[in-house]
Amino acid sequence: MASEVQNSNPTILNVADLPTRLSSAAASKAGTGSTGALASIFSTSAYSIDWPTGLNLSSDSSDEDVIEEPIDEQEIYDLISSISDPEHPISLGALAVVSLPDIAIKPTLPDVLGSDLRTISVLITPTITHCSLATVIGLGVRVRLEQSLPPRFRVDVRIKEGSHSTAEEVNKQLADKERVAAALENGTLMGVIAKMLESCR
Amino acid sequence: MPNPPTPPTHHLTLLSSLSPPSTERTWQTAPHPRLPIVATCSADKTIRIYSLQNFCLLSTIAGGHKRSVRTAAWKPHVTGESVLASGSFDATAGIWRRWDHYSDSSNLNLSTTHGDDSEEDDEEEEWRFAVLLDGHDSEVKSVAWSASGMLLATCSRDKSIWIWEDLDDGDNNFETVAVMQEHEGDVKCVAWHPAEECLVSGSYDDTIRVWREDVDDWGQVACLRGHGGTVWAVEFEGIPFVSGLTGKEEEQEEVGKWRALSGPRIVSCSDDRSVRVWRRIPKETSPAAAAAAAAAGMPSIIRPTGLDEDWELEAVLPAVHDLAVYSVAWSRRTGLVASTGADGRVVVYQERVVEGQQPQAGPEAKLPPTEWVVVAVLIGAHGIYEVNHVAWAKRADRGRDVSKEEEVLITTADDGTVKVWTLGQ
Repeated sequence: MASEVQNSNPTILNVADLPTRLSSAAASKAGTGSTGALASIFSTSAYSIDWPTGLNLSSDSSDEDVIEEPIDEQEIYDLISSISDPEHPISLGALAVVSLPDIAIKPTLPDVLGSDLRTISVLITPTITHCSLATVIGLGVRVRLEQSLPPRFRVDVRIKEGSHSTAEEVNKQLADKERVAAALENGTLMGVIAKMLESCR
Repeated sequence: MPNPPTPPTHHLTLLSSLSPPSTERTWQTAPHPRLPIVATCSADKTIRIYSLQNFCLLSTIAGGHKRSVRTAAWKPHVTGESVLASGSFDATAGIWRRWDHYSDSSNLNLSTTHGDDSEEDDEEEEWRFAVLLDGHDSEVKSVAWSASGMLLATCSRDKSIWIWEDLDDGDNNFETVAVMQEHEGDVKCVAWHPAEECLVSGSYDDTIRVWREDVDDWGQVACLRGHGGTVWAVEFEGIPFVSGLTGKEEEQEEVGKWRALSGPRIVSCSDDRSVRVWRRIPKETSPAAAAAAAAAGMPSIIRPTGLDEDWELEAVLPAVHDLAVYSVAWSRRTGLVASTGADGRVVVYQERVVEGQQPQAGPEAKLPPTEWVVVAVLIGAHGIYEVNHVAWAKRADRGRDVSKEEEVLITTADDGTVKVWTLGQ
């Protein structure tokens, strides 16, 4: 982590104004970093089962309404907006580092009939253009989604065009499977990521 | 995805999965040069040795690496013993040894203990950790032994390639011969020329580089640009030139002559989704030089002045992959090329002489044009999972046709599974 705070005065959005499918209470809880009961719905286990393609088979257990929804952009947003910024105890949603219109879900292999694979594209907007923590934030988003979603989802995290001075470099790193895998075995880096994800659970 | 010009003529059929699989991501599976066994590298920090006769796990090499094992390579030309080099995200390369017993015990049970010698025998059955090669600053991505088995190349995210000499002094000593740092990004892969001490590497900097030793110093002799993304794998073609060509015999012969002149080609695959074939432009075109080159690629004693080589892109193979291509394998038995990657496809390509173009004679002579066609496509080889590696190996199970040297394709995937496939018409 950088030793100095790179952006000491970021713009912060009111958490209550952010789009969410969670109740506002849960949203603000997630945003402030406490672990609420509702937030725990989004733990890894909730998504460890694979989802049927296209059709959404209803489950008998009525208390799992949230899980029965097909995974859509809003759900992805709810998974990652509560991640904390590595520099500030503020969520990525509140900092507008991630936003709902910058999330897209598309078939990974559109030419393959019946393919279950879906690619989730997330564009992140670092708070300042030279933020060296952009890679860490991107990695945090990637880790959060890969841990939460079934394996048929591929995660593509990029810096939003024009928002970062070294976007191309960061994007290449985040897209490199081998580098990401190695980063996940780096204790120091994972410590930082774990701290960012604390507010998600 | 543009459709291949001709429909695939072959199909890949699952022969077996290797069992039991790793529970974590597997990166690579290296077939043994002599024995019907393979080494699979896993994110669970182990290397698994499986039999290609019954597809079962023979042993697990654990406790050597502190992080994911990314790569492994068998030392060639060792008899009575197997020597395996491994590379890990823990920044080290390991050397492992084991006396050969697998070949005569194709049964499941490895611990064939004999009476009171059992303890000693058990020890002999084990993989012995020989030495840890320490030097890289970060993850080791690829390791490769030279054709003679004298040299080991290792490469890393630290942008360097190290060449180590196996002193073979019985004491497991390795000497650092060279450290090459010309690449501007992670070096993802290294591979050796099939006969000469010539190395090729692919990198995160999107380039492929060729390296040779000049008197005492190893240096870059060529830099191949063209890929629009990380070069994930490179491999030399085998020698002598094995024709995967179809077409008239005299045409094939003519192509073979030209191939001998340029030397083995290089195949590469990339994050840009393409698979490319590169050819060295021969320096000397005199008949004498051609004959010398044709005489099986031994390094000439007197080198031509200047080691720089000119390499050109010969072909971009038909585009089939929708995502990054992680691995490419050029069969030294059949000349077929196989590729695989993030889209889960396995593609097999064959080179053909373009029909109706007679080779010209005399000084105007040039290489008869060839083209690559897709002969087999397998979608979702490992279901929804990405496939990290593909390799050709000699078929060794009971179902093989003993009258010919059959080959199998081995694919290694993110879900920890390794599958063995046959290619049929």
